[in-house]
Amino acid sequence: MNALRVTWLFFKIGVLNELQYRVNFVVQLFQSAIALAVGLVVLALVYSHTDELNGWSQPELLCVLGVQILMGGAIKMYIQPNMTRLIDDVREGKLDYALTKPEDSQMLVSVREVRIWQVVDLVSGSIVVAVGLSEVSAGVGALDALGFGVALLLGGVMIYCFWLVIATAAFWVVNMWTVVELFDGVFQTGRWPVGIYPGWLRYSVTFLVPVAFAVTVPAEALTSRLDWQTLALAVGFALVLFGATRWFWRFGLRNYTGASA
Amino acid sequence: MDHAVHVAELRKTFDVPEREAGLRASAKSLIRRRTTEVKAVDAISFDIAPGEVVGFLGPNGAGKTTTLKMLSGLLYPTDGDATVLGHVPSKRERDFLRRITLVMGNRNQLQWDLPALDSYELNRAIYRIPREDFVPTRDELIELLDVEDIVRKPVRQLSLGERMKVEIIGSLLHRPQVLFLDEPTIGLDVTMQKRIRSFVADYNQRHGATVLLTSHYMADVEALCQRVIVIHHGRILFDGRLAELASTFTAHKTIEVALENGAADLSAYGEITYRDGDVVTLRVPKVETARVTARLLAEQEVLDLNVEDPPIEDVIELVFAQERPE
Repeated sequence: MNALRVTWLFFKIGVLNELQYRVNFVVQLFQSAIALAVGLVVLALVYSHTDELNGWSQPELLCVLGVQILMGGAIKMYIQPNMTRLIDDVREGKLDYALTKPEDSQMLVSVREVRIWQVVDLVSGSIVVAVGLSEVSAGVGALDALGFGVALLLGGVMIYCFWLVIATAAFWVVNMWTVVELFDGVFQTGRWPVGIYPGWLRYSVTFLVPVAFAVTVPAEALTSRLDWQTLALAVGFALVLFGATRWFWRFGLRNYTGASA
Repeated sequence: MDHAVHVAELRKTFDVPEREAGLRASAKSLIRRRTTEVKAVDAISFDIAPGEVVGFLGPNGAGKTTTLKMLSGLLYPTDGDATVLGHVPSKRERDFLRRITLVMGNRNQLQWDLPALDSYELNRAIYRIPREDFVPTRDELIELLDVEDIVRKPVRQLSLGERMKVEIIGSLLHRPQVLFLDEPTIGLDVTMQKRIRSFVADYNQRHGATVLLTSHYMADVEALCQRVIVIHHGRILFDGRLAELASTFTAHKTIEVALENGAADLSAYGEITYRDGDVVTLRVPKVETARVTARLLAEQEVLDLNVEDPPIEDVIELVFAQERPE
């Protein structure tokens, strides 16, 4: 698969690029430490008043927090940098070179950037998940782990689709930055299982911005809550979303005008 | 295949939002957006034979870049037909994209923080160039442009001219058959311009590649293109040999005379456009050139005499001023 080879090469180049800026690593370390500390303090505060939240115990919620950090890291590592670059390129008419290459244009614009220092979030998220799981009495079965992997992947695909739709809209709406900032806010809702939110918000963060699929569903898998219907829904929704996004991207390309040279 | 590039009645219109300056107008345009239709390219037609080098001339906003972008598959034409190497560019077929290249003098595609060699590897993967083809091509291009050391430095550390050279190599690694060059020498010093120019000519001869080039530097066009297409306000004003451009658009010729007696007044023969000691330049209506020349030779003590078309820059300026030949 040439697409995979190109993706891998872009990844390698991205890593080479980032290694030149080691200060970023330190900055990232600080940011992640602060975010993690805040998350843990809030969690401790909530559980100083109650023993469970909508059926989730404290260690289980720790897993949710971990998955949220993990997914957030993956988004900021790969999805977000590529999509914000796409928005910039469309606005400045710099997409020209990507579009004259004999490779799938959607693939090319999705793999050009990588922020490797976000690996800090991947590590710290995984540790939080591990700590949470060690205190969950039931333990994690092989099927749970498999469900977790699949759900995480599907969640990532859905978040990617959401971002690509937003970025593609830049073909018409030149300034998409407000939406970009909005995403960060909405993604914070993923710190808690979506079940605790009122109906309208729950639906929004499930189908509009698929935070529920990206965080809550994988966390449900880990804590043996995931049923096959939810997983099937995730698969179906991811497929439909991916197809629709691809169509929308191609439609958007027809409207690319390129800033005049 | 007869033509490398075939263009028939090609059009591109843009809807450009239009409003007055100021807050009130801004608020108004929120509710009701007025747009004007701008005809960037207005029903142009031309054919280019394989191996031909054609210069695309026109002032800023004439529609040159828009045309190049339509031909390289970046923009969807509003109307009309275009084929390049038998492909419809807007379909952006891989077979098509593998056989063309687009170089834009004011854009860069190489990785900014890395040596150009790393970016070349990336292009090798994207264009699926077998290594046994890639290495000789790359090394040949590097040698031709004399950039052995430069390709090992991070691109951000290169001068504008050096960057253009390594950019061009990156655009030619897949040995494209059609080159769209949009201002490839913009901002470069004269030596570097010459270097790029002779490289393009060389590439054209070695590989029989078709080249469509836009440039603001007439020297580029004079050196490279036997044929020029002049475009203005999205329409073609002239398509033919560079030499014919002058005869089509100017009703005048210049006569340069060096006189034995430099003080003589020549204003009776024609308009004096330049005088430097004994050398006088006259502007004479084309139809009268022969008669004036004969009179000068008969009546003055002439040391030397040259009849020329006006400089190409002046012709171009004239073309854009009058828009259409009578």
